[in-house]
Amino acid sequence: MKRRHRTRAAQGLRWLVYLLAVLLLNLPVIVTLLTSLKTDADINASPPIWLFHPTFMHYAEIFSDPTLDFPHYLVNSTSIALGATLLTIALALPAAYAIARLGIGASFLLPAVTNLRVLPLVIFAIPFYLAYQALGLLDTRLGMMIIGCLINLPLALIMLVGFLRELPRELDEAARVDGATLLGILRLVIIPLARPSIMAVAILSFIYAWNEFLFALILTTRHATPVTVGATYFITSWGVRWGATAAAMVVSVLPPLLLGLASHRFLARATTAGAVKG
Amino acid sequence: MSAAGRTIAFGQERRAGYWLLAPLIAFLVITLGFPLATDLVYSVSTVSFTALWSPHWRGLGNFVDVLQDPVFWQAAGFSLRFAVIATVAEVALGFALVLILNPLLERHGWLIAFLILPMMISPALIGIMYRLMLNDFVGIIPQYLDMIGIDANLLGPQCVFGTLVVIEVLQWTPFALLALLAAYQAIPAELVEAARIDGGGSLSVFRFVTWPLMLPALGITAFIRFIDSFRVFDQIYVLTGGGPGTMTTSMSLYIYRAFFEKQQIGLAVAASLLLLVAAVLLLRVSLTRLLRNEPA
Repeated sequence: MKRRHRTRAAQGLRWLVYLLAVLLLNLPVIVTLLTSLKTDADINASPPIWLFHPTFMHYAEIFSDPTLDFPHYLVNSTSIALGATLLTIALALPAAYAIARLGIGASFLLPAVTNLRVLPLVIFAIPFYLAYQALGLLDTRLGMMIIGCLINLPLALIMLVGFLRELPRELDEAARVDGATLLGILRLVIIPLARPSIMAVAILSFIYAWNEFLFALILTTRHATPVTVGATYFITSWGVRWGATAAAMVVSVLPPLLLGLASHRFLARATTAGAVKG
Repeated sequence: MSAAGRTIAFGQERRAGYWLLAPLIAFLVITLGFPLATDLVYSVSTVSFTALWSPHWRGLGNFVDVLQDPVFWQAAGFSLRFAVIATVAEVALGFALVLILNPLLERHGWLIAFLILPMMISPALIGIMYRLMLNDFVGIIPQYLDMIGIDANLLGPQCVFGTLVVIEVLQWTPFALLALLAAYQAIPAELVEAARIDGGGSLSVFRFVTWPLMLPALGITAFIRFIDSFRVFDQIYVLTGGGPGTMTTSMSLYIYRAFFEKQQIGLAVAASLLLLVAAVLLLRVSLTRLLRNEPA
C-alpha cells in the first residue's frame, strides 16, 4: 500500500517537472504570443497583465502596413526554404543511393560531408560575399537557396544514406537483374519506398533553411531578405512597435514550429545523425 | 561498418553510379573550393574593397595582425568559455530530465514534442523574443525583478555573459534531452534487471550499467553542442551586437565585424583560416576518440 502511494507521488512529481520544463523552455514563445494579442496599452501596462481581451490588430497591421514590408519577407523565406529543400534532395538523394546501395563514395564523400557539419560557416561568409557580388547573386533568392542547400547537405546525406541502407534489398536487386537502369530503380523503386524518410529530411531541410540568419544578414539587403533578418529591422529602424514585432515573430516561427510538431518522431534520429560515423 | 551485405558494383553500373554522385560533388567543389581558395589567397595579401580583384602579396602579415589583436584573443576566450559552460549545462540538464521524465515519455511519446519546440526556432528570432522580455519598459523580466526589489540590467557588463549562456541553454537543452533519451531507451532492460537481481540498488545500477552505457551518447551530444555553441552568432548579434564594448564578441562576430564594419578583409580572412585550422584539429582529435568509444 505504502509503495503504491510512493509511486503515485513520484508520478505526480514527474508531471510537475514536465509542465515546469515545458513552460520555462517555451516562455519566449508564450510571452511573444501573448504580447502579439494585446493592445498597445496592455503591452505597456505594469505589472504585466496575463488576462486580457485578445485583439488581432497587430496581425492586421503587419500585413497591411506597406512600410513594414513583412509579407515580402515571408514570401522570400518561403521560396528560399522551398528552393533550398528541393535542391538539397535533388543533390543528396542520388548520391545517397550510390553510397548506400552501390558502395561508391562511402569512403571519401561521406566523411568529407560529415566534417562539413563541424566547420564554422562564418569562414565561408567573406568569399561568398565576394563571389556573389561578382556573379550578381547578392540579394537574390537563388543565392540564398544555394546557401540553404549547402547548410543542409551534411545532415540530409547522412540521414538518407542511413534510411536507404535499411530498405529491403530484394526489390532493387530484382529490378537490377531485370535490367533496369540506375535512374529507373531510383525513380520507380527507391523513391516510392523511401517516401516517408525523404519527407522527414525535406521537413528538416525546410526548417534549417527557414531559420538561417548569418548568411541572410550578409548576402541580402532588400529584395531577398527573409523573415529572420527582416524581423531585426523591426526593432532597429523606426523605434520599437512591440505589438507588430511580436505578431511578426509569431507568424515567422509558425511554419517551423508546426513542421517540427508534425515530425518530432524523426528529430531524435536527426539529432544524433549529425556527428556519428564517418 | 562491415562490407558484408553491401553490393559492390562493377563496370558499367559503377560508372553510372558515379554519375549519381557527380552533381553533389560538383556542387561541393564549387561552393567550398572557391571560398577556400579565396580565403587562402586573401589571407596572404593586402586587399581592399576598392581593389578586390587585385590583391597584393603580403606574406604572413595578416596572421601577425590577428595574433597581435587583443580583441581576437578575447573573442576566442569568449567563444570557448561560452561553449564549455553552455555545453556542460545542457548535457547535465538534458540527462537529468531524461532520468526524471523517461517513465512519462515512454508511456506518452507525444509529450516530447512540447519539450523540443525551442529547437525549431531560429536563434535570431529567439534573440528578438528575449529583447522583448528583457526590455526595460515592456519586458516581463525587468518588471518582475523590479517588484522583488532587484534592479539589475541583465544585458549590462555584470550580467550579460550569464544572460547569454542561460538563453543558449534554454534553447538547446531540448537537443541534449532528445539525443540522450534515444540512447537511454536503447539500454537493454535485461541488463538493468540482471543488475537488480544481483542485488544492486538504484545507485549502483546507475553507476555500473546506465552511466557506462550512456557515456558514448553523452560524448557525442556534448561534441555537437560544443561545436554549435562555439560558432554562436545569431542571438548575440541581435541582443548585444557583441557589446558592451567587445565583451560578448564571439569568434563568428569578430570575423563579421572585421569584414563588414571595419572593412579589414585580410584580417577577417586570416582569422577565418585560423578558425578553420582549429576546427580541423578538434575534429581529428575528438572524432577518432568518439569513434573508438562507439562499437561500430
